[in-house]
Amino acid sequence: MIAALLFAVFAALMIIGVPVCVALGVAGTLAIVLSNQDVAWFGLLAVPQNFYAGLAKYPLLAIPMFVLVGSIFDRSGVARRLVDLAISIVGRGPGMLPLVAIAVAMFLGGISGSGPACAAAVGAVMIAAMSRAGYPGPFSASVVAAGAATDILIPPSIAFIIYSVLVPGASVPALFAAGMVPGLLAGFAQIVPTVWLARKHKMGTLEAHLPRPPFWASLRQASWGLAAPVLILGGMRLGWFTPTEAAVVAVFYGLFVGMCIHRTIKVRDLFIILREAAELSAVIMMVVALAGIFAWALSTLSIIDPITHAIVNSGLGEWGVLALLIVLLMTMGMFLDGISIFLIFVPLLMPIANAYGWDPVWFGVILTLKVALGQFTPPLAVNLMVSCRIARVPMESTVPWVLWLLGAMFLVLVAVLVFPQLALWLPHHLGY
Amino acid sequence: MSRPDVPVEPAEPVEPIIPVEQDPAVKVPLALEDWLAVGVLAILALITFVNVLVRYFTDQSFAWTEEISVFLLIVLTMAGGSTAFVRNHHIRIEAIADAGTPARQRRLALASHTVVLLFFILLAVLSVRLVIDEYRYEETSPAIGVPTWWYSIWLPVMAAAIALRTVGALRRLLRSGAR
Repeated sequence: MIAALLFAVFAALMIIGVPVCVALGVAGTLAIVLSNQDVAWFGLLAVPQNFYAGLAKYPLLAIPMFVLVGSIFDRSGVARRLVDLAISIVGRGPGMLPLVAIAVAMFLGGISGSGPACAAAVGAVMIAAMSRAGYPGPFSASVVAAGAATDILIPPSIAFIIYSVLVPGASVPALFAAGMVPGLLAGFAQIVPTVWLARKHKMGTLEAHLPRPPFWASLRQASWGLAAPVLILGGMRLGWFTPTEAAVVAVFYGLFVGMCIHRTIKVRDLFIILREAAELSAVIMMVVALAGIFAWALSTLSIIDPITHAIVNSGLGEWGVLALLIVLLMTMGMFLDGISIFLIFVPLLMPIANAYGWDPVWFGVILTLKVALGQFTPPLAVNLMVSCRIARVPMESTVPWVLWLLGAMFLVLVAVLVFPQLALWLPHHLGY
Repeated sequence: MSRPDVPVEPAEPVEPIIPVEQDPAVKVPLALEDWLAVGVLAILALITFVNVLVRYFTDQSFAWTEEISVFLLIVLTMAGGSTAFVRNHHIRIEAIADAGTPARQRRLALASHTVVLLFFILLAVLSVRLVIDEYRYEETSPAIGVPTWWYSIWLPVMAAAIALRTVGALRRLLRSGAR
């Protein structure tokens, strides 16, 4: 009863436009009051305690650091140089610019850990270039948003950090390694319909005759950017630093490249970069903190065990339940952002995963793939929001293009469901 | 069709090219929280970076910085969260609340701001209780050994600041209706 109210209040508040974080906090607080009516202060002291406890976790420090990495590399000029290098390799033929956009987004995924930051960096360079070459704005916005969605699968990734805070059995390095192959597959899967659509609709013919940038000069220019993922991922792999420290090293490396090498960041830009990163991380962590209250209320209502029991014994079988979960998360993903989905549903779903003996790392990759899909599924699509703002097109106009890319990435999700080794081979091989 | 002869984009676009948005007309400058959040984020990055260097050159690590980092993380969340409420940057469903007639939009905005206001007033009041308890029982922090209320006192202060920011947003909404 109270549990139903918990979700009903949350849904109602979301509909009238209350921010997700506050909707979670209010619903959780109401549930606490209703189930503690005979206790002094209605047990409400749990509200600030859980708010504090939800935030006071050292691993969460990785979130502002990776957000800051994203803001810095946005402006470091790395994206434009990577684009030049990619064009010097594949040229400007039909369908090649969108291919470059996806490839560069995947590469930046190895530096930054958040989809919208990647969409902003790639979109700033590629959307203007693609519109000059004659690709329609909605198509470019779709391609950039979809390519940037691979960012949270390709390590480093903020989504994996949050999952690992919620699920102690899944370590950050193991999750990072597990996301690598599915992330690359998702990128390649998107390239196929992208190039096919561009050729079928004869897009991007305006600048096909322009000469390619010289290869070696482009390579030299792009080398500082090319070295960044080597530093971040290699440093973590060799045990030089923890994920949080890797992010900080990337922050100072990015500042050095942006301020001293490419000279795209001025001293006065630092305030704007820091402010933007501080606000964005605060938005994420406010959800983390207030979802702590929601999750605590949920756990004290003792409804998780009965629900798990009912689902496991429902006769649907392992695959039926898995299919049901995917459908549920797909629906939720249309209205909720990825972080909130993790924070609300992981505490509910982990007992089910344990009941079937699913590997927590594999399950994390599945959920993250789902969240990545949600990042460019209208109407609530954080990546698409960014790329549509850059392309100055309404989000509805992207639907005919974005459906193809969603379909391609969905096939990768199915592949990882059917062949768990796609995700688990690399972490096992590396010994995590 | 695009018109390649009309120069619509500069030769090298400044990255990123998302249009700058204007801050709402606040009475108390947003620079207050902005500087706090920026300072805290910069300190967090420096502390962690110095930690890497120190561990590298001396094989020691100062674990006590973890406690300060966690505390700063909370300040960062509250300060950045406060400006995000003013700038309307928090994640929310806009499809229903920001559509329809202006009158309906205003009614929904009033309702949602009131919910935010009430929640943060409650959080401020309850966390004062938390601080009083910690003060009375003289709890000390595990790593450094300072009284824990030095840390937790920031929770009611910042929650109250967010409540005040929401009052300001509500006042601007009511004003805009009066005109």
